[in-house]
Amino acid sequence: MRLPRLFRTTPFRLTLLFLALFAASASAFLAYIYVATAGEVSNRADARVAREFQSLEAVYARGGFPALNQEVIERTTSDRPLLYLLMSKTGAPISGSIARSPIPNFGGTRDWASFTLTEVEVDGSLVKRPARGLEERLSGGEILFVGADVSESEAYVNKILRALWGAGALIVVLGLAGGVLVSRNVSRNIAGLTGVIDQARSGDLAARAPVRGTGDEYDELAAGLNDMLGRLERSIAGMRHAGDAIAHDLRSPLTRLRARLEAAMIEADAGRSDAKLALHQALEDADGVLRTFTAVLAIARLEAATDAPSQAVFDPGELARDVTELYEPLCEDKGLAFEAEIALGLRLKGSREIIAQALANLLDNAVKYTPAGGAIMLRVRRRSSGEIEFSVTDTGPGIGPDDRDRVVERFVRLENSRNAPGVGLGLSLVAAVARAHRGRLELDEGPGSIDGGGPGLRAALVFPAGA
Amino acid sequence: MRLLIVEDDTEASGAMVTGLAEAGHDCLCAPDGEAGLAAARGGGFDVMVVDRMMPKLDGVGMVEALRRDGDQTPVLFLSALGEINDRVTGLNAGGDDYLVKPYALAELVARVEALSRRRETGSVQTLLKLGDLEMDLIGREVRRAGRDIDLQPREFQLLEFLMRHGGQSVTRTMLLEGVWNYHFDPQTNVIDVHISRLRAKIDKGFDKAMLQTVRGAGYRLEA
Repeated sequence: MRLPRLFRTTPFRLTLLFLALFAASASAFLAYIYVATAGEVSNRADARVAREFQSLEAVYARGGFPALNQEVIERTTSDRPLLYLLMSKTGAPISGSIARSPIPNFGGTRDWASFTLTEVEVDGSLVKRPARGLEERLSGGEILFVGADVSESEAYVNKILRALWGAGALIVVLGLAGGVLVSRNVSRNIAGLTGVIDQARSGDLAARAPVRGTGDEYDELAAGLNDMLGRLERSIAGMRHAGDAIAHDLRSPLTRLRARLEAAMIEADAGRSDAKLALHQALEDADGVLRTFTAVLAIARLEAATDAPSQAVFDPGELARDVTELYEPLCEDKGLAFEAEIALGLRLKGSREIIAQALANLLDNAVKYTPAGGAIMLRVRRRSSGEIEFSVTDTGPGIGPDDRDRVVERFVRLENSRNAPGVGLGLSLVAAVARAHRGRLELDEGPGSIDGGGPGLRAALVFPAGA
Repeated sequence: MRLLIVEDDTEASGAMVTGLAEAGHDCLCAPDGEAGLAAARGGGFDVMVVDRMMPKLDGVGMVEALRRDGDQTPVLFLSALGEINDRVTGLNAGGDDYLVKPYALAELVARVEALSRRRETGSVQTLLKLGDLEMDLIGREVRRAGRDIDLQPREFQLLEFLMRHGGQSVTRTMLLEGVWNYHFDPQTNVIDVHISRLRAKIDKGFDKAMLQTVRGAGYRLEA
């Protein structure tokens, strides 16, 4: 038989365990209280009996048996609430308030006894009361018993005992109730998370666990789960998008390639072809396809890796100087003013080769899109936040604020750049490089219109401080 | 040259043979690492082209075994694995160059020829000569037909690379790797601009243009 769900939960089991520990310590505590209170009450009653006994013994010591007998008779008839019995050496009652000794076979010299006192009330009914007494053989051989009715103290002790039992029961009940509440609460929270995981498992990656803003561990867990789902969703969406985009970007050049080859074949059959030209163009198309493929693969790898590969510490300024040296002549050739403002002596940890490629991509883009007469500026600096920034600013057409997020996606090329060479993967690759280094790609407006050009573009590759 | 091609994809090796034979080389093909190792141990090859991923014995294992034998024949690794780490693994295993698939045949031919040349120049040269062009690597001086040519440091490196591969085609990728040490393809014609500047310095005012453009491949420095 399976227990109800509540009783199977970990919090409930933990509650039971803690309850058991708590009950054990509460029992010890209650036992101590019992001993301290009830014990004290019965000790006091015993002490009273013992004192009375001593005073009678003193009488005996002074005046012997007759004086004691006299004293017992006197005390019996007075209002004292105690019980007395004086017996002969053989145990035969001589005087006292009770008929028989409560200790039937008294053989020793001194003995305490608890017993029940049966009394006849005025109306003739019998009442039983707890009593306790001390019996001792006196020096002359006679036996003296002194007892007391302990019903009152017994009742008091019983009250204490009942109170303690009540307290114990209350502890257990409250503990159980608390356990049930806590485990219900925990279970509800966990059930929410489990539900989200189930949803995600059945393919709904948009499911998110509620974050209540309390900042407790459930919130942390929910936030962690949400973050994980977000990444998963983005990466799957990215893959899906890449699939579509690859299909799209590869289909057109492959179609062109096929058409070109077919046309060349027809021309060759007709004997009037320059098949060589067609083949040359076909080869170029194939190269284009392969370039796209390589770029997509590079992005996918960067995004799949948790960290950029081959990390090392290097001077970002030196890297920029190297790349500048590679690109400067190209800018001059295209009639672009090139300016570099490079801070040296900075340190950056990352993959030098991959960052160089990203920077080269930014410069490729700037050179491609900036019309002759424009300017390009490369800058490397440390921001006041400690971040390392590589930025490339151009005076080209720029990218509108609405398009800036979009161009970082794979394959997006803006309408006005359709005719420029390249596969539109440049900025996506740069963004992927930044992400692989826990940095980011910032796109912004350039310096404004120069000679009727666009507002320009400032692309900054920003790496976190101490990266 | 006599070449050994170790590649399990027979169509790929067939295309390679076509390209390399066209360039005047004699090729022997092996379909896997074990066959490749056996053929290589027979000796007599100038350059080996070895695919990294193959059945039985992979390319890295094969080249490591060869190097243990003391065989120093230049090896060009071919691989679909293009990460920097993969490149380093290949070069550490004893490869001399690394070409990532897919590649252009012209690139393969150029690299194979460059490798064969590398072996010939065993000693350290301090003076390079090609036709009437002279390069003093110690004094950092360049002269053509007795006339001094003033080069920027990078232009000097570029010319040195071309001189060392004199008479052979070198591709843009080879230049980017060999001169700038970058392993990616730029989207723009950065290399062409550097070449045309160098060309302006070494060919301008002379009858014969030494720095030739090789269609579909790259450049060649000719005497």
